[in-house]
Amino acid sequence: MKNVRMAHNGTDIIRIENLIFEYKREGEAAPDRAVDGVSLNLERGSFTAVIGQNGSGKSTLAKNINALLLPSGGAVYVDGYNTGDAEAVWEIRRRAGMVFQNPDNQLVSAIVEDDVAFGPENLGIAPDEIRVRVRESLLSVHMYGERKKAPHLLSGGQKQRVAIAGVVAMRPECIIFDEPTAMLDPVGREEVMEIIGRLHLDGVTVVLITHFMDEAALADRIVVMDEGRVVLDGAPSSVFRRADLLRKLSLDAPLAVELAERLRGKGFAIPDDIINTEEMVEFLCRSK
Amino acid sequence: MPVKVEDLVYVYSEGLPYETLALDGVSFEIADGEFIGVIGRTGSGKSTLIQHLNGILKPKSGRVFVGDAEITAKGVKLAEIRRKIGLVFQYPEYQLFEETVYKDVAFGPVSLGLSQRETDRRVREALSLVGLDFSEFSERSPFELSGGQKRRAAIAGVLSMKPEVLILDEPTAGLDPGSHMDILNMIGEIRRREGVVVILVSHNMNDIARLSDRIFVMNEGKIALSGAPAEVFAHDEFLASIGLRLPPVAEMMRKLRLRGVDIPEGVLTIDEAERALEGFLRRAR
Amino acid sequence: MIRDITLGQYYPGDSWAHRLDPRVKIAVTFVYILALFLIRDFGGHAVAAAALGVAVAVSRVPPKFILRGLKAVFIIILFTFTLNMLMTKGEPLIKAGFIVVTKEGLYNAVFMGLRLVLLIVGSSLLTLTTKPVRLTDGIESLLKPFRRFGVPAHELAMMMTIALRFIPTLLEETDKIMKAQMARGADFESGSILRRAKNMTPLLVPLFIGAFRIAQDLAMAMEARCYRGGEGRTSLHELRLRKQDAAAIFLTAVFLSFILLERWLSPLWFDI
Repeated sequence: MKNVRMAHNGTDIIRIENLIFEYKREGEAAPDRAVDGVSLNLERGSFTAVIGQNGSGKSTLAKNINALLLPSGGAVYVDGYNTGDAEAVWEIRRRAGMVFQNPDNQLVSAIVEDDVAFGPENLGIAPDEIRVRVRESLLSVHMYGERKKAPHLLSGGQKQRVAIAGVVAMRPECIIFDEPTAMLDPVGREEVMEIIGRLHLDGVTVVLITHFMDEAALADRIVVMDEGRVVLDGAPSSVFRRADLLRKLSLDAPLAVELAERLRGKGFAIPDDIINTEEMVEFLCRSK
Repeated sequence: MPVKVEDLVYVYSEGLPYETLALDGVSFEIADGEFIGVIGRTGSGKSTLIQHLNGILKPKSGRVFVGDAEITAKGVKLAEIRRKIGLVFQYPEYQLFEETVYKDVAFGPVSLGLSQRETDRRVREALSLVGLDFSEFSERSPFELSGGQKRRAAIAGVLSMKPEVLILDEPTAGLDPGSHMDILNMIGEIRRREGVVVILVSHNMNDIARLSDRIFVMNEGKIALSGAPAEVFAHDEFLASIGLRLPPVAEMMRKLRLRGVDIPEGVLTIDEAERALEGFLRRAR
Repeated sequence: MIRDITLGQYYPGDSWAHRLDPRVKIAVTFVYILALFLIRDFGGHAVAAAALGVAVAVSRVPPKFILRGLKAVFIIILFTFTLNMLMTKGEPLIKAGFIVVTKEGLYNAVFMGLRLVLLIVGSSLLTLTTKPVRLTDGIESLLKPFRRFGVPAHELAMMMTIALRFIPTLLEETDKIMKAQMARGADFESGSILRRAKNMTPLLVPLFIGAFRIAQDLAMAMEARCYRGGEGRTSLHELRLRKQDAAAIFLTAVFLSFILLERWLSPLWFDI
């Protein structure tokens, strides 16, 4: 085995060092640079949201984390393994699972429980152990009752939960969610976000790529991307305080942030750390 | 062009074990120029309903009138109906198929048998309505456009039929916030310029509250509630009972009222909320 | 409607037949079909019909449901029947103009028709009592020994699995695209065959593009879940032969001996 695990401090599960990724374009000399020098360290057990408009490079960044795409420049380490090391690919993918946007196009089998078993089967896990994992994972996403069903009979939110169970069954340390709720209705979105929140509480490192600011607000860190670069990075309250910049990037701030800013404009002293409806309500009730 | 629906009933998979009553006696009237928002949970019958309005689905019973024409009558010319009623399905960019944007947008007019000159005029008009520059986009392949542009091109393909009623099913699904706003502004622009009836099916309560003159709330194949946004969203408990949420602004105002903050009823948009909260804070000072 | 075709469909249940190892069921069906072609007279058909009757009873699939599957292939049966009746030379029975029905022809027609019915009902029993996914497992496992001769057992099974998963999705997609194009004035229903074929372009192009999109997404999702071919893979559903499977193999052997015995004992009516 030649895959040398880099020595690293135990707190960061993902280290991205000056990552550059270029898509080659047919018939054109200059490649399309989708990620342009991104450096990020993600702490074990953290919950990071990545936001940015379409084409900002956030999805490309995500696919670089589990070696679905390989860097054109710079490097990505997952739990000490370099994604550029061909022999480390499977070690990386079992540690960093991924849930994609389209609920229909990521389920492999015509039966829910078989689909959840797909990952563990690929890892060569013993059948008895697979059975245990399938059961646990389906229970954790509240889909155990549907284990014998065909995916095409499920709602979008249910399909997405099955997809999550399929990743959870591989017992990854980190899960990257690439716009998991973009194609769901509000009920489906809530179901999926509830599960993501619980996975985080259970100690899974979560990377959530999303267009929805209320979802990003649930993270403990938000990374804002534009044109392949990180333009903002920090706690939700500090990122949302830059409503002007967000607007310039066609991203909208959560309702509470927007209202707070407008009221400040009218001369009222609204605290900086209000980022969601509950906090706004709480503040206004205190002003009564 | 006014639309009238009388006692519409539709059954899926009739006579089979999984038979479902998708529409259960739906009736309504829409006046000329109205903007109608349709909300309801997935499976409440919204999509089934709009597919009846241009004859893609045929009801088991009941009638649909568009203008003076009854489109559910026997022997009616469906091509004529589909010209009057433009239906934009979810993810319309998945229907693009021609080599160029021009040809794709021209597909409807050509199917209608319009002259080349008229077709050309329609294509130019439709592309301008969706904000795609003719000289820049007309000869490009629709498949190399960005997500938001593809969607606009697909919508132009419906607008080129010059519909008098425009129905859109989740036109902003899956788009980023910027493209989302662009599409909504575009719908507003089309309505202003063409004076069409717009029927918008959406899960986004904020958009529905902001844009609609009237809202139809669908539940289990029936219109469970209808009225102006402020009226409909005043029924917060009923909406919650059928799995629907309030617009974010209304939800915040409801929470404030529950905590005894004096906020007027019917506050739905952020501008209204700003004024209401300003009033409250001044009094509180 | 596609929904009315029961041929090749699975009938949910938990009967003795449902619980058999898919490999055994495939093998039994194979032997049964082989036996049908060994039969030379109606006596043999009687034996096969009796065996099939027992199998249907054991499967607890309502006979009505099975017969509905026959309806779908009724034309083929009728065609076989008529062809045999009219094309066999021999002792004329009925003569009407150029149509001549011979005694041998009539015998052949009934014989072949019956064989076809027994064949279809028998093989449909396999799919009726076996989930397609389990069938795939069975085929993969049965083909495994042939891997050294270059038979891509795992790949074939994976292809079938994916096809089973995505057929409903693609049907739904087809329906959606068709409706959307109809709303733009497309006409899929009228005109000459040539015209209709041409009119399918607005349906077929988006459908192909959609299929490619699915393939791309799926390939990425499978890779992300550590898929790397059949090597080193385990399976949630381990196939293990149990007592009931042994019983089924034994009964099939008995059935085959009956067929052979009958063939040997019975006087030949005709040579076929």
